[in-house]
Amino acid sequence: MLSEIAIIVVRGIAIGSIFSIIAMSFNIVHGATGILNFAQGNMFVLGGFAAFFLANGAGVPLWLVMLAVSAMLVAACVTFQGWITLLPLRSSVEQDSWLISTVAASTIIGAVLLITQGPYAYNVQGIAPSFRILGVRTPGAYALAFGCMLFWFVALRLFLTRTFSGLAISALSQDFDAARAAGLPVRRLQLVAFAISGLIVGSAGYMVAPVISVTSDAGLRYVLAAVVGGIGSNLGTLIGGPLVGVVTMLTAYRIGGAYQDLASLLVLVAILMLRPQGLFGRSSARRV
Amino acid sequence: MSATAGQTMALPPAAGKRRFSSDLPQVWIGMALIALTGFGPSLVGNSYWVHTFQLVNIYIAASVFQNFLFVDAGQKSFGQGVLLGLGAYVTAIFFGLHNYPFLAAAAIGIAAAAAGGLLFALPALRVQYFHLGFVTLSAAIVFPQLLMSLDRWTNGINGIAVSMPDLQKEMVFGLSPLTLIVALYPMAALWIHYFIRRSRLGRRMRIAAISPEAARTLGIKPGVMRFIAFIIAAIGTGVCGVLYLPTVAFVSPQGFNVELSFVFFFAVVVGGRGQMLGPIVGMWIVFILPNIALAQLVEYRLLIYGVLTLVTVMLFPDGVVGTIERWRLRRSVAGRGEQAFRVDAFLDTLGAGHDATPGEDVAVEVRGGLKKFGEVVAVDRADLTVRRGEIHGLIGANGSGKTSLLNVLSGLSRLNAGSFVIDGREATRMAADRIADLGVGRTFQTPRIFSQLSLWDNLRIGIDARVGAGDPGVARLAAALEREFSEDSADLLSHGQRRLVEVMRTVLKEASIVFFDEPAAGLSQSERANFAKLVTFLSRRMGKTIVIVEHDLDLVWGVADAITVMDAGRVVATGAPAEVARDPAVQHMFVGGRRA
Repeated sequence: MLSEIAIIVVRGIAIGSIFSIIAMSFNIVHGATGILNFAQGNMFVLGGFAAFFLANGAGVPLWLVMLAVSAMLVAACVTFQGWITLLPLRSSVEQDSWLISTVAASTIIGAVLLITQGPYAYNVQGIAPSFRILGVRTPGAYALAFGCMLFWFVALRLFLTRTFSGLAISALSQDFDAARAAGLPVRRLQLVAFAISGLIVGSAGYMVAPVISVTSDAGLRYVLAAVVGGIGSNLGTLIGGPLVGVVTMLTAYRIGGAYQDLASLLVLVAILMLRPQGLFGRSSARRV
Repeated sequence: MSATAGQTMALPPAAGKRRFSSDLPQVWIGMALIALTGFGPSLVGNSYWVHTFQLVNIYIAASVFQNFLFVDAGQKSFGQGVLLGLGAYVTAIFFGLHNYPFLAAAAIGIAAAAAGGLLFALPALRVQYFHLGFVTLSAAIVFPQLLMSLDRWTNGINGIAVSMPDLQKEMVFGLSPLTLIVALYPMAALWIHYFIRRSRLGRRMRIAAISPEAARTLGIKPGVMRFIAFIIAAIGTGVCGVLYLPTVAFVSPQGFNVELSFVFFFAVVVGGRGQMLGPIVGMWIVFILPNIALAQLVEYRLLIYGVLTLVTVMLFPDGVVGTIERWRLRRSVAGRGEQAFRVDAFLDTLGAGHDATPGEDVAVEVRGGLKKFGEVVAVDRADLTVRRGEIHGLIGANGSGKTSLLNVLSGLSRLNAGSFVIDGREATRMAADRIADLGVGRTFQTPRIFSQLSLWDNLRIGIDARVGAGDPGVARLAAALEREFSEDSADLLSHGQRRLVEVMRTVLKEASIVFFDEPAAGLSQSERANFAKLVTFLSRRMGKTIVIVEHDLDLVWGVADAITVMDAGRVVATGAPAEVARDPAVQHMFVGGRRA
């Protein structure tokens, strides 16, 4: 019994770290552009595919090199997608247009993966050895997920408060027009934000590939879980993500068998129905 | 001056004026297109196209409701396929598995779809604009899995087959009852959309979608509007589900995956958001094109939906029909710039009114009003008394708390402490729409003018929110405005005229208490004079109580019966204009003439 609780907590927190990472990648783009990139989950899965094709069973040096390569590849994809999304936008918040183009992009990526890779789940061999925590044997990738979350949280915090680009992106999220009036290169900063979000999900997808289902249609589910954890505040998602992870794990455990996937998905939908802004989300202020 | 202006108001609409809205012609063209594709294949006896267009026409109907929900109610739902699926599956379960009569099973199916719509509507009751997309999308992801897992009731992956030979029997000209019904239903859906949009409910829904705060000051509850829209769309889409059953004769979980919801959404976008013809043209492009061109490559379909949609957003952000409509409007936009709105003409039409003098009883009273935004104190224990029928000027430097106070009084924000009374009713905790129903009207610093609506509809939303008994002068004015402006666009109005539209909205609403928020900002000298005349008329001939926040002190001193001066959130002086002008606390405001 005790070990079951340990499994639920450890794995829940680790899976939840992934939700948290995706939420953080949402936040930086949303802050800089007002856009919520629906294709972000697909980009995360792309990272997983990169791990399968570039570094499956690789040794540590190659794995590290490919980590950088994968992160940058995904960042390039996201930046390109961001560029396309920003094209028709004259101002930052013409909602309909970005909503449609990111949903369309998500559909396209999912379809391309389906056509080229088929509907199968890919198994990726991990690099990190499994370890024991609370008496439970745990795949190394779970530790990587947790570490990745902490890394990106700290890195983003430093970037947004210590670097010029980071401060400029923070300024964009405060007051878009003022930032433009102050002469900031708005479009370039927005693309930087997209690129960073790509680095985040690319690296995360690559590292946790052994413990996620790398399939063409997995993207939207991770996005959904990230939203349930709460988007809008990086600090909030640090708690919300793992909490959602534990809740879905617990649900899967209590229900068990064939229904466990469905049940945890239903729990997410139920939370979203009751609390559309997510557990620890901050709903953005409307411009009046 | 006044004579010529009077003539302007009385003139019939200029001959040959083009329509502002092409909704009605679009509905007729849509009827023709659906009739052609719905009946044509049967007449020539092509059974492939008979069947294809049966399904396409059902999908068009579902997209019509998506269009309504998306544009008229401003709700982006990615889950309309779920509602269609609920209608189809529940009908199939009761009709196909439990042998209920078809109509009874259909009624249960539609009820199930409505219940699904209710679930979507619950999060929409609160304002979270993009989160709704996630809620509906997640429902679309879960739905097929739910069908799969609940195999005790749904037959799981095997699906449910039904047979309804009676509906397929050919009558005259090769038409079967089914062909007839599935062609008539999208036509009906178009008319439903058209008539809702033209109705008071439809106008209020659109205002709530575009500008929730303006809507609330017109007595509209935006949450309720969204709720109603979701229920209407859910029932309409549920009927599509019922029709799907005899058309396809089979339901299975794969038929109702996310792809289906995306088809409805993308069809609206590609065809043209908000255009009556949009769903028809969009569905032809999004659904039929890939099905003809790549009939054997099913897996490419989703890719093509995505690419078509992305390309459309890039090249024609308004969609195919929307782009054509934009060309038409550019060529034929009707409306007059400077000459459209004439205060003297309005006053002439309103007639003589009646004598009204400010009374002694209190219309608005604030006691110790405190409003904080975080640490900033915007209104600091302010007291304000406005007598019935008077014009009360509220002045002070920028940031002194005037607009914050107006926002509190119109219910758009709440006091942290203190209270206020409107017309003798305790209103401190009232929502904006309830305060609006007490007879309060207001204007905004940035006029809320809706370019999607004709100029007349922009004014008419005032009548839609009417609280008065129906003043004959106002009725006369409304009739004249309708004659004059029903085909005009509001886009060509000058800034001053846009302000005037908002003022006229409160007149048409017959609001007894009106708050003007910097009504003269950006107005020319002559427009200011006209505005002063109008305000005086509203007070002295129509008996309205008026609170006017304004920086033009000449204007304020010219019309006001009482003046309250605010500074840093506090009321520093109040009283008759002459007294206030002598008050030492106010003297510094007049340096270099009466301008603050």
